[in-house]
Amino acid sequence: MKLNLQVWRQAGPDATGRLVDYTARDIDPDMSFLEMLDVVNEDLIKKGEDPIAFDSDCREGICGTCGCMVNGIPHGPDRGATVCQLHMRRFKDGDTIVIEPWRARAFPVIKDLVVDRSALDRIIQAGGYTSVNVGAAPDANAIPVPKVDAEEAFEYAACIGCGACVAACKNASAVLFTSAKLSHLHLLPQGQVELSQRAVRMVEQMDAEGFGSCSNEGECEAVCPKGIRIEGIARMNRQFVQATFVARPERTAGGV
Amino acid sequence: MTLDAKIPSGPIEGKWDRHKFESKLVNPANRRRFTVLVVGTGLAGASAASALGELGYNVVAFCIHDSPRRAHSIAAQGGINASKNYRNDGDSVYRLFYDTVKGGDYRAREANVYRLAQVSSDIIDHCVAQGVPFAREYGGLLDNRSFGGAQVSRTFYARGQTGQQLLIGAYQSMMRQVDAGTVTLVPQREMLDLVVVDGAARGIVTRNLVTGEIERWAGHAVLLCTGGYGTAYYLSTNALNCNVTAAWRCHKRGALFANPCFTQIHPTCIPVSGDHQSKLTLMSESLRNDGRVWVPKKPGDARKPQEIPEAERDYYLERRYPSFGNLVPRDVASRAAKAVCDDGRGVGTTGLAVYLDFADAIHRLGEETIRNRYGNLFDMYKRITDEDPYKVPMRIYPAVHYTMGGLWVDYNLMSTIPGLHVLGEANFSDHGANRLGASALMQGLADGYFVIPYTLAHYLAGAALPPVSTDHAAFGEAVAGQQARIDRLLKVKGDQTARELHRALGHVLWDNVGMARNEAGLRKALAAIPGLRDEFWARISVPGDATNMNKNLEYAGRVADYLEFSELLALDALERRESCGGHFREEYQTPDNEALRDDVHFAHVAAWEFAGVGRPPVRHVEPLTFEYAKPSQRSYK
Amino acid sequence: MRSRVSFPFSTIGTKILIAITGLAMFLFLIVHMAANLLLFVGPDVYNGYSHKLISNPLIYVAEAGLVLLFVVHVFNAVTNWAKNRGARPVGYTKKAWAGHTSRKTVASSTMIYTGVVIFVFTVLHLVTFKYGPWYETTHDGQTMRDLYTLVVEVFRQPAYVVGYTVVMALVFLHLRHGVSSAFQSLGWNHPRYNRLILGFGYLFAVLIGAGFALPPIWIYFTK
Ligand SMILES: Cc1cc2nc3c(=O)[nH]c(=O)nc-3n(C[C@H](O)[C@H](O)[C@H](O)COP(=O)(O)OP(=O)(O)OC[C@H]3O[C@@H](n4cnc5c(N)ncnc54)[C@H](O)[C@@H]3O)c2cc1C
Ligand code: HEM
Ligand code: HEM
Ligand code: SF4
Ligand code: F3S
Ligand code: FES
Repeated sequence: MKLNLQVWRQAGPDATGRLVDYTARDIDPDMSFLEMLDVVNEDLIKKGEDPIAFDSDCREGICGTCGCMVNGIPHGPDRGATVCQLHMRRFKDGDTIVIEPWRARAFPVIKDLVVDRSALDRIIQAGGYTSVNVGAAPDANAIPVPKVDAEEAFEYAACIGCGACVAACKNASAVLFTSAKLSHLHLLPQGQVELSQRAVRMVEQMDAEGFGSCSNEGECEAVCPKGIRIEGIARMNRQFVQATFVARPERTAGGV
Repeated sequence: MTLDAKIPSGPIEGKWDRHKFESKLVNPANRRRFTVLVVGTGLAGASAASALGELGYNVVAFCIHDSPRRAHSIAAQGGINASKNYRNDGDSVYRLFYDTVKGGDYRAREANVYRLAQVSSDIIDHCVAQGVPFAREYGGLLDNRSFGGAQVSRTFYARGQTGQQLLIGAYQSMMRQVDAGTVTLVPQREMLDLVVVDGAARGIVTRNLVTGEIERWAGHAVLLCTGGYGTAYYLSTNALNCNVTAAWRCHKRGALFANPCFTQIHPTCIPVSGDHQSKLTLMSESLRNDGRVWVPKKPGDARKPQEIPEAERDYYLERRYPSFGNLVPRDVASRAAKAVCDDGRGVGTTGLAVYLDFADAIHRLGEETIRNRYGNLFDMYKRITDEDPYKVPMRIYPAVHYTMGGLWVDYNLMSTIPGLHVLGEANFSDHGANRLGASALMQGLADGYFVIPYTLAHYLAGAALPPVSTDHAAFGEAVAGQQARIDRLLKVKGDQTARELHRALGHVLWDNVGMARNEAGLRKALAAIPGLRDEFWARISVPGDATNMNKNLEYAGRVADYLEFSELLALDALERRESCGGHFREEYQTPDNEALRDDVHFAHVAAWEFAGVGRPPVRHVEPLTFEYAKPSQRSYK
Repeated sequence: MRSRVSFPFSTIGTKILIAITGLAMFLFLIVHMAANLLLFVGPDVYNGYSHKLISNPLIYVAEAGLVLLFVVHVFNAVTNWAKNRGARPVGYTKKAWAGHTSRKTVASSTMIYTGVVIFVFTVLHLVTFKYGPWYETTHDGQTMRDLYTLVVEVFRQPAYVVGYTVVMALVFLHLRHGVSSAFQSLGWNHPRYNRLILGFGYLFAVLIGAGFALPPIWIYFTK
């Protein structure tokens, strides 16, 4: 197959970028999308030109490193798949493919298709955990967890932190990502303890990073490679309201 | 050099407890004065960073990725072992210990393995408290499955994504410490060198992968948690960024490298489909619980699988190993697949594949049950191959998967350089010559959560560690060396890409240091590798410069290290004149083609000392003694 | 815990205010639309109902409430829209609908535009009717404002009919996304009831749009 690519090239964070045309030749339908880009890059390297910078690691849809817009859809047209799992048999000979990086204020471009997603780490840092020290845990079977709850928690825990939800959302909102973590922990007894605090702090961090709000368009759910559902966003909103208006305020111990 | 493993004396059951008691402690108020550099944030690194952060040390954690959550541990599918005996099926610390030593074909250190089995239960407790959503039964208690041919059900799992869930648990705990200010996170950094001052590891040199800057970091100890070197073979189930670079540079600074030839080839991976392929995808071993492995009886049989009648199929695992059948350990299953393909009976366009057939299981249990058990994996297979495994058998072939070898460490996980501790897949530790399924996750977390907090304290409390600043001459020397190397890479401006040379190296290794090795092949590899290395330095093309993100420059640097390291890999394989676990030397086999161990001459760890690139390294030996798990011929007949 | 003062300025708090005010106005519209349907019954009933409403002193409270809802809704909707645009300073050259389970529709993508039109419309609408010409009529011995005549007068003019019908189409669009969206914003999402919620939102958007559009058209062609 032969394909026409239009790829966003941007030399650095402050450089101005533009779409550049490339032709991908001798593409095998069994190749993955990123292998197709590898082929293009091999060519560029041989010509002594700077290859297209894009991120990837596991190439099997689990690490969340890869990600770019393929013809206007994050991770491309396949449902429930990352761009590293997208295969070229999805395309026809002679197709034109536009490839752009994730776009969001909170995801500045580092180079070409690589963006800085550390904002997502900082959201987790703001409470996306249970406060348990090594050695302090009770026996694993001390607290039974209904199977349905554990399974449901897993659904949300499956988020790979790729940022496609942000890329898809017209508001560049990170609510799907944030709510996935809140739901994962909320649905388990171990996570209930710090629920209110966690909801408030993570949402505050999400806002501070400059992500938008949610207009309930569900584009995020549709592109999420792990099928995280916007039901989690609704749950997060409930948690946030209850943390603000219902939860008991923390007492601070007076004096030292 | 004598290798002192510092194994505590006394009966095996009490060694670790006694050792913990006898280890020195660091006063809580003093802990924050100690800076610990943790390189890598996989299961081993993230667990260590969080555990040490909780104790109050000043931890700095580095990783290559843009987020610590992306470490290669995330890809582990099957599960994690623990001797909980929740199933009442006869499991115990002792049995887990025994199985692991036996599975490793008696090439692991007994005391380490026993400790691993001891802390395995605590790992599960801690992970559940972190919110890891392990599979549960309807009663709300944890589910277990049997894995990798174990006769007890001791594997805890979270669908097919156990590694992901465990890593996210560890990552979150680490981020909690980042929040608390005890851990400083430094992502997008590649460790390029270890800085040794007065004989102790006192710092590292990294490259900022975004700005290209070469940076210096000083500390009181370095924990190397940088994973395995499976990508030396180019194609493997490992993630693309896996590398030997950090470990190799430490090796060059004096850390011994142990058993590099112990590599694991996993039997159930999706076969190679063409030259363009960048990596191989593992199909979880659990598939062998219901799938039957077969090839046609007739060589060169080009019929479709459905058209081959039952009588003309060879279910070779069931035939050769009637009692374990399709569930024999990985090394055995892999070699058997290679044998039938060498026979000309391989299937698929390349002839390098065997069938894994679910027709019987679907017939017996119904498609729905199979879908529930393996739906994800079947989808993954279909996505990659465009074939529907509910209708046609899967094609599978072995692929490089895990490396048991790594930097040599003593019982305290310290390498031969004081202060340099090595955790997780990066050390050679507990798996001997073959790792059993679901035990790498266990080891990474055991090292990080439960071992290093004690052994590192002992080191820090006992060593004299005068302040060292990053202005020290040793830093200057290391930075200059790395800068020169990068400049050299950029200067060649040749016509070969790092990928081409890596692929070439991969072919050499796979063909000669792969599933079955022999002296002639190993010598061939040893002759070919230096040639490739010279070609690399003469012809490599690395466009761009070093002052911003340059992924190709990073990659070229790693390939260059593989071109040095691979020689050691082949040499170790040559010098180990026996077959054991994943290391199969064709010269040493039983009449029915099983691995033939030589306990008289090779019941030891081979630990190599660096002598310069292209110069023969020095082979040191740590003898292994087996007081509890007495070596016997593994038999899965 | 989070201070309740800053709640409205968080992304979630903002959206919750938009949803609550939106839903309240949605309820008003149902009542208003139902009242408008009294036009079909006849002048007496319609005027009688209006009179009862206007003459009730509580109407001032209700109106103040409505204004407040409106202002809060508009203020938050506009600032929220502006912030959201700021969250993606550089846009895509190519952006496509994701399909699958996406709830993105023409309606959801044009909320701000349909909203602005509704805003302008509402002002004009009040000028036309509430502050429009004052006709009087007597019914059961009571003198009251003859809104019926005014309405008929207005909708005899084709421009008004066309204008109103177009705006009602936009009201439909606003509510077609708005109603179910407000449920989601308020945390009402449950796999068992989601189809019901989406269906409810759609149905009521249609009912309100059609219910409002009907009287003007009917008046134009029959009166
Ligand atoms: C497909 C697959 C499935 C598996 N399934 C199982 C299973 O079911 N059960 C099981 O027990 N085991 C399994 N394993 C093995 C297991 O996942 C790994 O052995 C284990 O996770 C390794 O963890 P680690 O922390 O040592 O290293 P890794 O997770 O590889 O982490 C390495 C870290 O080091 C960093 N790093 C690397 N090089 C550098 C450098 N030069 N400078 C700075 N940072 C660096 C990386 O960024 C990363 O953070 C599987 C492995 C594979 C490939
Ligand atoms: C009768 C008047 C109105 C009604 C009944 C109404 C109703 C609603 C409802 C129910 C929502 C959904 C809230 C949510 O998603 O949480 C909504 C959203 C919205 N409204 Fe209105 N609205 C009205 C007028 C206006 C006006 C005058 C404007 C602006 C000028 C406006 C702008 C918006 C915008 C921009 C949104 C989308 C907010 C978002 O999700 O991003 N609306 N409206
Ligand atoms: C064909 C459709 C409509 C008709 C015939 C109609 C008719 C009227 C009339 C006659 C009044 C005056 C009532 C009074 O002064 O007491 C009125 C008031 C009002 N209308 Fe409408 N209306 C229509 C649609 C709408 C729509 C779509 C909206 C909102 C988006 C709306 C919002 C209002 C408001 C806010 C008032 C003022 C209520 C008050 O102050 O008590 N109307 N309408
Ligand atoms: S919610 Fe989905 S799309 Fe968003 S980061 Fe997680 S996996 Fe990616
Ligand atoms: S696409 Fe955006 S609007 Fe909300 S539902 Fe998803 S975050
Ligand atoms: S590279 Fe890991 S998800 Fe795509």
